[in-house]
Amino acid sequence: MATARFHQALGTAQSHQHLQNSGSHHEFGNASLKLISKAFKADVGLSIRGGYSSCMRKSGVIQASTSQTSAQPVSYSPNNSSDVLRRKSSEAALILIRHGESLWNEKNLFTGCVDVPLTKKGVEEAIEAGKRISNIPVDMIYTSALIRAQMTAMLAMTQHRRKKVPIILHNENEQAREWGRIFSEDTKKQSIPVVTAWQLNERMYGELQGLNKQETADRFGKEKVHEWRRSYDIPPPNGESLEMCAERAVAYFKDHIEPQLLSGKNVMIAAHGNSLRSIIMYLDKLTSQEVINLELSTGIPMLYIFKGGKFIRRGSPAGPTEAGVYAYTRSLALYRQRLDDMLH
Amino acid sequence: MATSVFHQPIGTAQSHQLLQNSDFRHEFGHASVKLTFKGFKVETGLSSREGFSSCRRKFGVVQASASHTSVVQPVSYPPNNSTDELRKKSSEAALILIRHGESLWNEKNLFTGCVDVPLTKKGVEEAIEAGKRISNIPVDMIYTSALIRAQMTAMLAMTQHRRKKVPIILHSESEQAREWSQIFSEDTKKQSIPVVTAWQLNERMYGELQGLNKQETADRFGKEKVHEWRRSYDIPPPNGESLEMCAERAVAYFKDHIEPQLLSGKNVMIAAHGNSLRSIIMYLDKLTSQEVINLELSTGIPMLYIFKGGKFIRRGSPAGPTEAGVYAYTRRLALYRQKLDEMLH
Repeated sequence: MATARFHQALGTAQSHQHLQNSGSHHEFGNASLKLISKAFKADVGLSIRGGYSSCMRKSGVIQASTSQTSAQPVSYSPNNSSDVLRRKSSEAALILIRHGESLWNEKNLFTGCVDVPLTKKGVEEAIEAGKRISNIPVDMIYTSALIRAQMTAMLAMTQHRRKKVPIILHNENEQAREWGRIFSEDTKKQSIPVVTAWQLNERMYGELQGLNKQETADRFGKEKVHEWRRSYDIPPPNGESLEMCAERAVAYFKDHIEPQLLSGKNVMIAAHGNSLRSIIMYLDKLTSQEVINLELSTGIPMLYIFKGGKFIRRGSPAGPTEAGVYAYTRSLALYRQRLDDMLH
Repeated sequence: MATSVFHQPIGTAQSHQLLQNSDFRHEFGHASVKLTFKGFKVETGLSSREGFSSCRRKFGVVQASASHTSVVQPVSYPPNNSTDELRKKSSEAALILIRHGESLWNEKNLFTGCVDVPLTKKGVEEAIEAGKRISNIPVDMIYTSALIRAQMTAMLAMTQHRRKKVPIILHSESEQAREWSQIFSEDTKKQSIPVVTAWQLNERMYGELQGLNKQETADRFGKEKVHEWRRSYDIPPPNGESLEMCAERAVAYFKDHIEPQLLSGKNVMIAAHGNSLRSIIMYLDKLTSQEVINLELSTGIPMLYIFKGGKFIRRGSPAGPTEAGVYAYTRRLALYRQKLDEMLH
C-alpha cells in the first residue's frame, strides 16, 4: 500500500492515499482516494439492512476535507476531456441513479412495471442527484423503458455542467429511426446518446401490480407476500423473482454497457431498485443473500470507476454544500480542473 | 345576446354574461364567461404575428375581476365522481392543449423537429407553471407525442394537479410491454388517468435541417429556401414534412382517437409541439392555411377548449393562481371547482 499523506483530514477515514500515478486497486474494505483542492465527503449511497456499521466495514466511509491545497497546473491541448480520460488510461466512470418517489410510492401501491410518473418530491430528488454528478463526465446514458427513470435522467442532466445534449435514440421502427436523424456532424459530437431498455425496468411484480398492502394480504396472505418480496428466486404469480430480474438486467449490462465502459466511455444508468441492485450484485460480486439485504437510496447517485476490467466502488458524490473528497481518480481531477479553467 | 351583468369589472372587456342556464354559444369575436367567486384574468395563449391587436379582434380578450360575489347557488348532489356529473348532465368536455417549453436545442438555436431532445431547466419550470394553471380543470385522458419533451411537460404539469388520479403511461409496443404493465386492482385502475403516446402528435419532421443551426442551413441551402420551408404551408424541406403533411397526420389522429373521447364526455389534455398543436387548432377553429401560418403558440401556456354539442369553443388560457380573471368557464366547471373546494373542508 502506498504511503498515506493527507492534508488537514477531518473525521474518520479508513485510508488515504496520495496517488502519483493513475494506478489504483480496489481492496475489500478500503477505497483509494486522491485529495486535491476542495475536498468532498464521499457518503456511500448503499446501506445494508444489518445496519450502517456493517456497511462501513464493507465499503469504507471516507470523510476528509481540506481547505486550500493546490493541484499541479496541467496544460494539455484543448481536446474533448473524455478523450483525455480515454487516452491516459482506459478508465471510465459509471454512475448509477435510482429514481425518486413515484405517485404510487406515495400511495403505497406495488408498482413493478406499471409506468407511473414521479411526484414533486421525485422531481426534486432527480434534480438533487444531478447537482451531485454535475462534474462527472457522461458520454452515454442508459435508462429503463419507464418514464420515472427517464425523467430522473433528463432532470439530473439539466444540472450538468458540460454542454453536451442528451438525445434519446428511437428504435421502435424504421420511421422512428429516420425521423430522429441528425444532419450536422458537429451537433452529433455534442450529443450524449440516451438508450432506453426494458431490460433495465423494475422487477415485474405480476398480479401484485396496483394492489396495496392490505389487498395483497387479503388476496394472497401475508406470509406469501413477504416471501415474494424478500426471497431471491420465488416469483409472485405471473411475475418475476429477483433472480429473473437480475438475469435480464445483468445480461443487458454485460452485452451493451460494459463494452462502452471498456472503450473508455463514461456511462450513467438511471433505473430502479431491483434492476440496479442486480447490477451491483454483478459489480461487487455479492451473494444472493447479500443482494436481498441491499437497500439503495433513492436519488443518491453511486459512482464506480471501471479500470483494468474491474469495477471500483467510489461511493456517492457529495452535494455541492458538503465537504468531502474532491475527485476519485487523477483523471477525474484533471477533468474537473479543466471544467474550472473553462470558466476563467 | 343576453343582457350584460357584471360586478366591479376592472380593465377592458368585450362582453360579460351572467348565465343562469348552461346554454351558451360561441360568437366570433366574443367569449362568454361566467363570473363566480374570485375573478380570473383570461388571456389567450395565442397571438398573431401581425400584432396583439388583430389577435384581440379575433378571439377577444376578457378581463374581469370581482372581489366578493357569491353567485353560485349551493348545489347539493350525491358524492359521485365529478366527471360523471359533467358527463351525465350534458355531453360537455374540457380539452387542454399545452405546448412544451424550452428544450436544450431551442437554447442552442438548432432546428429540432423529431430529434428527441429534452427540456432545459427553464422548460421544466414552464411545465410546472402550466400545471398550476390547469390544476382545477378535470383531466380523464392525456395524449402526448413520442418525444420526451412533451411527455415530461405533461407529467410535470400533472404533479401540480389537485385531483388525486394518477397518470399511467400505456405501453403497446409489444405483447410483453402490454402484459408487463397490467394493473390488477380495479380500484387502482379507476384512479388512473391513461396516458397515450403517439408519434402522430410529434413535431413536424424537419428532414435535413434537423441538428443544423441557422448559419449552417443558410450556407448549405441558401437563406431564401430556408425561409420558404419554415414559412410556407406546403413546401417541405428535403426529406422532411411540410406543415400540410404534419397537419394531415396530426388532425387525422385527433379525429380518430381524441375526438371520440371528448364525445363520450372525457376531459382530455394534449401535450405536444408547436406545429402539431397549431395543426389541431386549425381544425378546431376552422382556420385557413394562411391563418395557421401566422399562428404562434406560447410555450407553457395551456389553452382551453370546451367541446359541446359537437363544437369546439375556445376558452382562452386559464390564469395562474396569482392572477385575477374569470373563475370558471362553464357552470359545470364551476360546480366541479366547488366540489374540489368542499373536499378540503
